[in-house]
Amino acid sequence: MSNKNKDGNFTSVTVLCYTLYMKGVFMMSEELISKKDLLDLAGISYGQLYRWKRKDLIPEDWFIRKSTFTGQETFFPKGKILERINKIQYMKENLSLDELADMFSPNIADLQLEKDELVKRNIVSNTVLDIYLEIEKGGPTFNFSRILEVYVLEKLLQSGEINLDEGKMLLQVLLENKSLIRQKNVELVFTRKLGVSSCLLLINTENFQFERSTKIVVQLSLMACMEEIKSKLL
Amino acid sequence: METKKRGDLLINGFGSSNGGSFNSVSINGKGTVTGDVECSDLDFNGSGSITGNVVVNHHAQFNGHGKIKGNMESQFLTVEGEAGVTGNLIVKKLKVSGKANVGGKIKGDEIEIKGRLTVGEDCEAEMFKAESQFTIGGLLNADLIDITIFADCNAKEIGGQTILIKQKNSLLGFFKPFARNQLKSECIEGDKVEIENTIAGIVRGNHVVIGANCEIEVVEYSGEFTMDKNSIVKDIRKI
Repeated sequence: MSNKNKDGNFTSVTVLCYTLYMKGVFMMSEELISKKDLLDLAGISYGQLYRWKRKDLIPEDWFIRKSTFTGQETFFPKGKILERINKIQYMKENLSLDELADMFSPNIADLQLEKDELVKRNIVSNTVLDIYLEIEKGGPTFNFSRILEVYVLEKLLQSGEINLDEGKMLLQVLLENKSLIRQKNVELVFTRKLGVSSCLLLINTENFQFERSTKIVVQLSLMACMEEIKSKLL
Repeated sequence: METKKRGDLLINGFGSSNGGSFNSVSINGKGTVTGDVECSDLDFNGSGSITGNVVVNHHAQFNGHGKIKGNMESQFLTVEGEAGVTGNLIVKKLKVSGKANVGGKIKGDEIEIKGRLTVGEDCEAEMFKAESQFTIGGLLNADLIDITIFADCNAKEIGGQTILIKQKNSLLGFFKPFARNQLKSECIEGDKVEIENTIAGIVRGNHVVIGANCEIEVVEYSGEFTMDKNSIVKDIRKI
């Protein structure tokens, strides 16, 4: 996709990247922590860990079985599991485990919110909401994918990392790839080179590299955004 | 709800039907249903089989022989006799007096087994109570696991908060069996672990009590540990 201005020059270029997800490679590149060390570090018990697993608060594919000299041991991707446990411990004080389980599942199916509700819940400001509606031309009732779009826009515009034109480009990418975003692991990357910005959606990507003169302005996991929104909704 | 308006499916004697949505499904004698079934109550007396996925909104009861070739979801499932589910079984409360065979995994709140249970994959519940023989191909995961060994039991892994494994008290104590019934597992992990007659690769826990007749490669504990003199533990580590 490209946007041409009146002179016929490219003002912005949007590229969509698709990278195959390779499980083996992904595991190699990540630091692992054994179950024993994890319990120690996080200060939780076996009972809690197994309970969270039962409630699907911890995804099945984070349990990596390996044989060690003491026999079988279970390992976890260290960064992810510690972050998840922190979140669970922080939120379980005012939520039941079942509510938590809903939060971590990637889809909220039938959620519908009015635009005033979004403003009230601090998901989006009035200004950004108006910009969004002007570009998207939709009604005042928001389903989850629209909430996500407006939230990402709000986040990036408010932080000043992108300007209004770039925001429009971002929305265009999000809108055209609605169905892809529902998939598990989508990452949004915004780059700038010599003042020309571009916006990428990375799907199930392990890693990516740009040439040196390209500056990565924003890198944002949409999964994380969904969780942030959900925590605001509850 | 609108289930009231639905019809019943009743097979007495020999018969077969297609699937669909029903109020109550009852098979007395020998019946076959082909296709997915959704109903509020399911009742098998005699020999019944359903080829397709089954959703039961209230109670399912198998007396005699029931077989489901597909996944099953139900609030309650009582098996008195024999039940077979080839796919996954999702049930709030499962009670088996007899024999149950699940090809996939079981997910439930309360599982109570008196008899025999075979599970191909994982078995998850808040409470798992068994006075039986069982084989679990994956992980047995429950808050409270209370097992009384009646015959040889097998589970690849056992994990939970409280794990109690004990031998059935035999009234005829002097009738020592030739081959002792034991539970075998690669790995047992829990906060409180009290086991008897168990062969395990590794036992990890906070409070670990090893009762009589255990053979364990490694015990790792962080709190208390006691061991019966009739048991063999090759390596004991305090963490």
